[in-house]
Amino acid sequence: MAGSELSQAVDQMAAPTGATRSSNALVRSLIGGLVTALPVLAIGLLVLNFAPTYYTFLALGAFVNLIVVVGLQVFMGNSNIANLGHSAFVGLGAYGVAILSTPLAMKKLSIPNAPFGFATLELDPVSSALIALLVVGIVALVSGKVISRLSGVAATIVSLALLIIVHSVFLNWTDLFKGNQAFFGIPKVVGLPWMLIFAVVAIVAARLFKDSRWGLQLRASAQSPQAAAALGIDAKKLRLMSWVLSALICGLAGVLYAYFAGTISPKLFYFQMIFNTLAMLILGGMATVTGAVTGVIVLSIGLEFIRSIESGVTVAGIQLPQLLGLSGVALGVVIVLCMAFRPSGISGRHELDELLSLLFRRNAK
Amino acid sequence: MDYALQQLLNALAFGAEYSLVALGLAVVFSIMGLVNFAHGEIIGVSAYSVFLAAALGLTSPFVAVLLAVGMAALAAVVFERVAFRPVRYAPTTTGLLTAFGVSIVVQNLFMLLISPKPQSVSILNGLNQMWFFGPFAVSSLQVMELIVSGLTILALVLFLNRSTLGLAIRAASRDFATVRLMGIRANRVIATAFAISGALAGIAAVFILARRGSVSPDLGFGLVLKAFVACVIGGFGSLPGAAVGGMLLGFIEVGLLVALPQEYAGFRDALTYAIIVALLVYRPEGLLGQRIELGDKEI
Repeated sequence: MAGSELSQAVDQMAAPTGATRSSNALVRSLIGGLVTALPVLAIGLLVLNFAPTYYTFLALGAFVNLIVVVGLQVFMGNSNIANLGHSAFVGLGAYGVAILSTPLAMKKLSIPNAPFGFATLELDPVSSALIALLVVGIVALVSGKVISRLSGVAATIVSLALLIIVHSVFLNWTDLFKGNQAFFGIPKVVGLPWMLIFAVVAIVAARLFKDSRWGLQLRASAQSPQAAAALGIDAKKLRLMSWVLSALICGLAGVLYAYFAGTISPKLFYFQMIFNTLAMLILGGMATVTGAVTGVIVLSIGLEFIRSIESGVTVAGIQLPQLLGLSGVALGVVIVLCMAFRPSGISGRHELDELLSLLFRRNAK
Repeated sequence: MDYALQQLLNALAFGAEYSLVALGLAVVFSIMGLVNFAHGEIIGVSAYSVFLAAALGLTSPFVAVLLAVGMAALAAVVFERVAFRPVRYAPTTTGLLTAFGVSIVVQNLFMLLISPKPQSVSILNGLNQMWFFGPFAVSSLQVMELIVSGLTILALVLFLNRSTLGLAIRAASRDFATVRLMGIRANRVIATAFAISGALAGIAAVFILARRGSVSPDLGFGLVLKAFVACVIGGFGSLPGAAVGGMLLGFIEVGLLVALPQEYAGFRDALTYAIIVALLVYRPEGLLGQRIELGDKEI
């Protein structure tokens, strides 16, 4: 089992790459991605058409989490290195569009002294998003160059350091980021339909990477570094590639969050988001995109339930006190129990479409 | 001259504190390959137990110190027994994430069971006075921190080199399976390592409490991040590396404190980490670490 990814990589490198062969695999991967995204689409369409506004708001937040977790999975699932700094990229994406696309009147209230003339600049939402993603990509490239050279544990800790550096810049460069106060006035141009579309795009992108030559080689080098290096696989380049892709997807989530919430602050893109998204990915299963989706669905519902208890509910006439910290305890317990009893998470090693095809094959016999 | 000496003492004291915490991390990692993110919560448990004892009527600082170190060691052993034993032979990432989960649970338990707000702990304030040596005024806490850290590291080195259990611990960091084959119980070695790690954290907790005078749920978390960075820059897994890394981090922090003008003071943490990361670009394995090529047989 440990060498299966490696042997697949060997097969792929040895066999002749015909045009039909690679396009076949591409189509299969595309279909796989769409199948994985089907539950998400289903839930999204249900909420869009039938649910009251409160649930739409919750769903939007959950979809942002979904995109972040999918981005996290692209790096963590394929390289087996824990990434504890992804919310830095979410924050960069969000603040990028906030600074660029907020209407001038609002900007004068928020960041009148912005450097580089940002206080007088206002771009349309699409250009702002593209520029923000470009900035995210550059930061990811620079940080990725450092992280891809480090061993697993050191890489994790440097990703933490990156998070602290970015958060510190958000808090202290008040001229540009408005510091600890909420940055309001971002145009609310994204609703549930766009969020759904981008969620599906992210899932398909993650799936395409995972099934591509690079994803396979990256997983092979994570399982058996020595053998992969002997095959000529450049693990550093692949880690960098997955780091940048992961950062771009997280940055996209940040952009979408800013565009639907209209208000952001540095606290949102710090450890709370890391805890939540990490727990979702671990519970769902790090190795697959289906795991990311599953974890988000299960924990979003679970956390909402626990949060309602946390703020004090009345059970059978007895008013329970406010239990601040209960959701944190629940998250931590989920992570610890999952790691102890089922490290591969709910969905294990197979994607949804792979599970379905196994099921059909078994029934056909 | 006076200012320079004071800042030097500052740097040494901070460095000593980071070294203590980083050593605790390195001891556990070198034996088990476990990145113990819950180390900060051991400091938190130690601090909160002093708070609770003071609230219940304890007045002697001496007993408070003993309580802090004892509770820290106990907490470390309990964490190991409850949370880390199931993932003992699992890959490094699994252990890291488990420890992260434990850290989240304990931090939120502090919030839930005690209070999310900082609580004042004044029982150890007696340690934090100004001593006067001729024209120099130094903080008694910093001097004690240096002396105690030095003695602790000396005691650790003596224990690791002169006692059977210490020898077993050093051997376990090279090849755990063979240590068990030699007839030494694995659980005893690991529990001792965690107890040592906890004791080191407890000593650091005493000094943190004496300096801050208050305790909050995230007391340990920020410190343990810095200690991790210190471990990484020194060479992850080596004990001398952890000590050197801690000292280096202390000097960089105080150096930035002195060098940065007031309006950029908020960027101090960011710049500290940025400098460390830049150092890692040139020496990815850390200052005292060894570059391990794939296929190396002897590390």
